[in-house]
Amino acid sequence: MPVVLQVLQSLTVLVGAPLYVGAISRAESIVASKRGPSVFQPYRDLAKLLRKGASVSDQASWVYAGAPFVVFACYLTVSVIVPIITSQPLPLAFLADLIGGAFVLGLAAFTMALAALDTASPQGGLGASRATWMGSLVEPALILVFFTVGVLSASDNPYLMNHAVRSSPYALVLPTHVLGTLAFFMLVLVENGRIPIENPSGSIEISMIEEGRVTEYSGRHYALMRWASWMKLFLLSSIFMNVFVIPWGLGNAHSLAGGLLAIPVLAGKLALCGLAIVVIDSSFAKLRFFRIAEFLGAAFLIALVGVITSYVVSV
Amino acid sequence: MQSLSSSSIDGTLLTLSSVGILLAAFACLGSKLFNRYVAYYGFQSVLLSFAAAVVAYHYDSAELWALAVITLALKGIAIPVATQRLLLHRLDLKRDVALSTGLSTSLIVGALLTAFAYLVIEPADLPHGVVAASVVPLSTAVVLLGGLAMVVRRHTVAQLIGWLITENGVFLGAITLVATFPFIVEAGIFLDLVAATLIMVVFVSGITRRLAEATSSELRGLQG
Repeated sequence: MPVVLQVLQSLTVLVGAPLYVGAISRAESIVASKRGPSVFQPYRDLAKLLRKGASVSDQASWVYAGAPFVVFACYLTVSVIVPIITSQPLPLAFLADLIGGAFVLGLAAFTMALAALDTASPQGGLGASRATWMGSLVEPALILVFFTVGVLSASDNPYLMNHAVRSSPYALVLPTHVLGTLAFFMLVLVENGRIPIENPSGSIEISMIEEGRVTEYSGRHYALMRWASWMKLFLLSSIFMNVFVIPWGLGNAHSLAGGLLAIPVLAGKLALCGLAIVVIDSSFAKLRFFRIAEFLGAAFLIALVGVITSYVVSV
Repeated sequence: MQSLSSSSIDGTLLTLSSVGILLAAFACLGSKLFNRYVAYYGFQSVLLSFAAAVVAYHYDSAELWALAVITLALKGIAIPVATQRLLLHRLDLKRDVALSTGLSTSLIVGALLTAFAYLVIEPADLPHGVVAASVVPLSTAVVLLGGLAMVVRRHTVAQLIGWLITENGVFLGAITLVATFPFIVEAGIFLDLVAATLIMVVFVSGITRRLAEATSSELRGLQG
């Protein structure tokens, strides 16, 4: 049964991610008084791109051709180690804890940066340099966020964190947890290139960061890259909701019904998270590039204050 | 009279609003626009009056309720509005350029000061489970952050805001530690605050009219 649930969990991420992104962009269009594309548009995009062959520059090496598969595999790996539909570890969850998961995400970012540099296109180099610079600022804040939840659960395993918060709901209003949650949400926005950092709806060449790294890709390679980035948004939002905000409503590792029931519950939680993202996307302007460091500094600071206030909690 | 425990609902609300007050101080330290300073200060004062109301509810004391209302009316509404109308609009202040360090540096120093506040208060030594153990270090940090804002900002109006933030930190510590502080003293402090703000308004307006700028960096010219 755990194996079936393991497969079901990864399938949920694979199938749910395009729908989640489609729903967010539809909601943003509605907020902007437009009709917007259907929520199923990402599936159509994927189907179209997967049918097409990829055109690869004759200057590109195997790094360029292999990168989409590595990136896709990285996000698929993360999908088996974090609590998405069950609150108990599934067979492959031993692979990594949250910091290990951050390493896997780091590997994906590294591979994308290599692939962007490989064809020597100016746009790719620009995107890779910017994204790597941002990544170097995100990591310390992310580690501190893990510390804030680690203080409550004495662990950096996402399942144990989920249990710790679930068994004492009082933890939800502790300053440490509130600050950690706030900082993690800011990092979710940064990691997925949402609005204070980057405009997700259009690719404006001069300000591209995440998109800049994959502009060279086409056809099925591009489909994998897009799908991977949607999975990233889905995964980080799920971790945010399941570990930080609403740790209830997950199935256990032994009943299929519980796992199946957890999927609509997860959809509800993601609707809340998506709503928050839509509100932020529609009400703020994009930051100037060098202000991004201040945004990330603020996330770091909030997480740091969270860790400091834990000094009292743990007494 | 039993003291506030940190795990009760009142204690949690008080701790959360203290964290909000600290974040507002950080927000003030990390911004560059005068109207933001004032907005964050107003927000901080509203949170402070909420904290005072929580303490008043817990101890069921009419004096503390009065303090909470005065805090909201004076610090939450009157001082921000007066600063906005009388200083920012009249002097056409928009962007604060008279900073002695970059924003990131001052935020990092602010984080270090917060850690320092925890080091000197040593909440682990305070009685177990008392809300003061979590609030007093936070209020000390707010006091230090207000001081830091006065140090890194050279413009007089920005220094005024820093001073007001320091006062908010003192007030937060006071209502948590000694909730039964004589009302007359608190009321006296409020009067001082209003008088000081008015004097600042008058002086800064006057100085600016004379010198076209009111920053303490002008004083460097007086060095022998």
